[in-house]
Amino acid sequence: MRFNILIGGKAGQGINELADVISEGLVNAGFYVFNYRDYQSVIKGGHNFNIICVSDTQIGSYDENIDIMIAFDNETYEFHKGKLNKTSIIATSEKKLSEQIKCILIDALKYSKAGNMAFAGFLFKILGLDKNYVINEIDRKFKGKSLYELDIKNVEECYEADYGKNLNFKASKKKGSFLSGSEAIGNGAIDAGVQLYFGYPMTPSTPVLIYLSEQQKAHDYNVITMENEIGVINASYGASFSGKRVMSGTSGGGFDLMTEGLSMGGMVELPLVIHLSQRGGPSSGLPTYTSQCDLNMALYSGHGEFPRVVIAPGDAEECYDNTVEAFYLSEKFGVTSIILTDKHLAESGYIYDIKKTQIKIPERKEYAGKGLFKRNSYEHDEQWNSTEDPKKIIKSVDKRKKKSEDLGEESKKFERIKVYGKGNNLIIGFGSTKGAIADALPELEGYKFLQVIYLEPFPEEILDYIKKSKKFFIAENNSTGQLADLITRKLAIKIDDNQRILKYDCRPFTPKYIIDEVKRRE
Amino acid sequence: MTDIYTDNKVTWCPGCPDFMVMAAVNNAVLSLITQGCKREEFVAVADIGCGSKIYDYLSISGMNGLHGRVVPTAFGIHVGNPKLKVMAFGGDGGVYNEGMGHFVHACRYNPNITLIVFDNQVFSLTTGQSTATSEIGFIEKTHPFGIKEMPLNPLVLALELGATFVSRVSALDLNQMSEVIEEAVKHEGFSLIEVLQPCLSYHDFSDFLKKNAYKIEPMGYEMALKEAKKWNYNEHEGGKVATGIFFKERKPTFEEKYLKKPN
Repeated sequence: MRFNILIGGKAGQGINELADVISEGLVNAGFYVFNYRDYQSVIKGGHNFNIICVSDTQIGSYDENIDIMIAFDNETYEFHKGKLNKTSIIATSEKKLSEQIKCILIDALKYSKAGNMAFAGFLFKILGLDKNYVINEIDRKFKGKSLYELDIKNVEECYEADYGKNLNFKASKKKGSFLSGSEAIGNGAIDAGVQLYFGYPMTPSTPVLIYLSEQQKAHDYNVITMENEIGVINASYGASFSGKRVMSGTSGGGFDLMTEGLSMGGMVELPLVIHLSQRGGPSSGLPTYTSQCDLNMALYSGHGEFPRVVIAPGDAEECYDNTVEAFYLSEKFGVTSIILTDKHLAESGYIYDIKKTQIKIPERKEYAGKGLFKRNSYEHDEQWNSTEDPKKIIKSVDKRKKKSEDLGEESKKFERIKVYGKGNNLIIGFGSTKGAIADALPELEGYKFLQVIYLEPFPEEILDYIKKSKKFFIAENNSTGQLADLITRKLAIKIDDNQRILKYDCRPFTPKYIIDEVKRRE
Repeated sequence: MTDIYTDNKVTWCPGCPDFMVMAAVNNAVLSLITQGCKREEFVAVADIGCGSKIYDYLSISGMNGLHGRVVPTAFGIHVGNPKLKVMAFGGDGGVYNEGMGHFVHACRYNPNITLIVFDNQVFSLTTGQSTATSEIGFIEKTHPFGIKEMPLNPLVLALELGATFVSRVSALDLNQMSEVIEEAVKHEGFSLIEVLQPCLSYHDFSDFLKKNAYKIEPMGYEMALKEAKKWNYNEHEGGKVATGIFFKERKPTFEEKYLKKPN
């Protein structure tokens, strides 16, 4: 079963807040839930929507058809009506729209200026689910806040009304927690023992900054924002020099500013974890829309040759695990680890069963304040004195090269790739496309899905899977196929245009899109 | 312990006043050690440029960072361990050109670090181009017709931005430099030591400095601002140049503001 609920309206109407409450309510009722958030770069107005996909098995995507539409305005209906079918249910708070298309009218503004929560009462009624699933969620989130009482009244009243429909959803035991990729990264950092997080706001990396800022109240670390990303990256390595476990985060443009510092990080061999969350580019691009256009930047940015780690989680669970692994590798080898996500992963809601990490992060042996400790951005000898001596240069370069090799070996401890399904053919992807590809698999007979999690050190075991497959396709949210190019470069395998399923409208893949493209290209 | 120098070969030009600055740092650190500070608490953070070579010559913990980034690097080191005595070394090019944004905000944040700027009013290591503090008409390879802007006055800027320790010293006066560096390290908050340091190769104003420097004692904010405006960095003929600590005050440091959480 896959059931899609679209909630749309203007920025400032509480669309995302309502979607959160509904999602959590459905999770509490024992369903698997995926919550996709689509919003524009505006504070008030415009058109924002969420699609909540509900299932009785694990999911990581939403679909192109809508079973229930909750329209806060006329535009939502006009924009998405193509996704409706005969059995779709529509509810709106706009009287004119309800008369025009003869759909359910919800008097959302009866009690409260916000009014958004009224739809939660309506929805749980027609789904045939207990209203307490959603009321408990509102309690948890808003108790003590100004609109709380009115929200509850709204929900109660809309739940009591009769809509002449009952979809008979059956509740069961809760399957896990509901988290965004950003929250999972924050939790990973906390459990890895982060001591300082330096940041500067940039969508879509901001949610991690906000989440970790909020969590400071309960944990022993500090979040520090600075004048710009250049300040952030240099201060991050500075704090690492002082022996602290440090993390930072940004998106494309901010990362551009950081790359001079990233190169220094390679030279001074200090540990640092950076969360790089991609959005549409180049330049200012598309702040609130998703993309995988910065893989090359994560892999190759920064002048000079130096080791690094690039890990791309595919869902919230991997966001947690990979963040801990990033800290492990950074601290063990004194390198920078980049956690590569995108807007889709950072801001979508995923369900997963939280297990605390068992990985022990190595303790730092040397740092400032403990004996003589030096680090040099100039080429240096073994005592970190500046040098221009050819023999010493080679020694220093070789040390950094050796580190790349050691990282390659050590990273084998972790799941660098994951393979799903059975068959002689292969679909390859990385990062947030995991959800849509994995969900497409049941409809693609004979196909396995190979998810690349470690981009650097590169998992060469991929070669075996490609060699053994009859056909293979690579799906990416960019216009050139950066993963495909990486595979060509690393494994000397030619990948033609037909094998590259590329989506670059800065919207995520859906399972249907993957299925259609694979079938069309076979 | 008689000094904190390494055995590395010093590559400054013969007679460069940078030797004097380093001697003053040595004096200040040794004096602080006799007063109970530990050698391992000191950290020398360096920018890129002639003065920043001091990283290689001091046998205390140190990080030689990027051009223009000495302030955020020092800030991070301080935030990482507020007990460290962080001395940041940069030039006018690094601090006032490339890294000016960081300087502005450091004055606001008030982290407990000491910023020592080797201000020779020229990029020396890249062979003599003008910086933000070079005088109008200064002719160099990239400006064959001379530069046209007034130099900026770092002291006025720091005072206006709320820096809590603002000083200027002459690199030709070892005693004064030693004392001010010691005072700055002891000061709780962001300390600026603007070192007027003639470059013998590209911008030598030694005679001017010898003739016209005079000493001042710390004063109130308005007086300090007035004093700081008396020499505009443009004049190298007449005009008097005040040296010493212009202004200091105790205000909440970055550590006090952010690193200690409210209960």
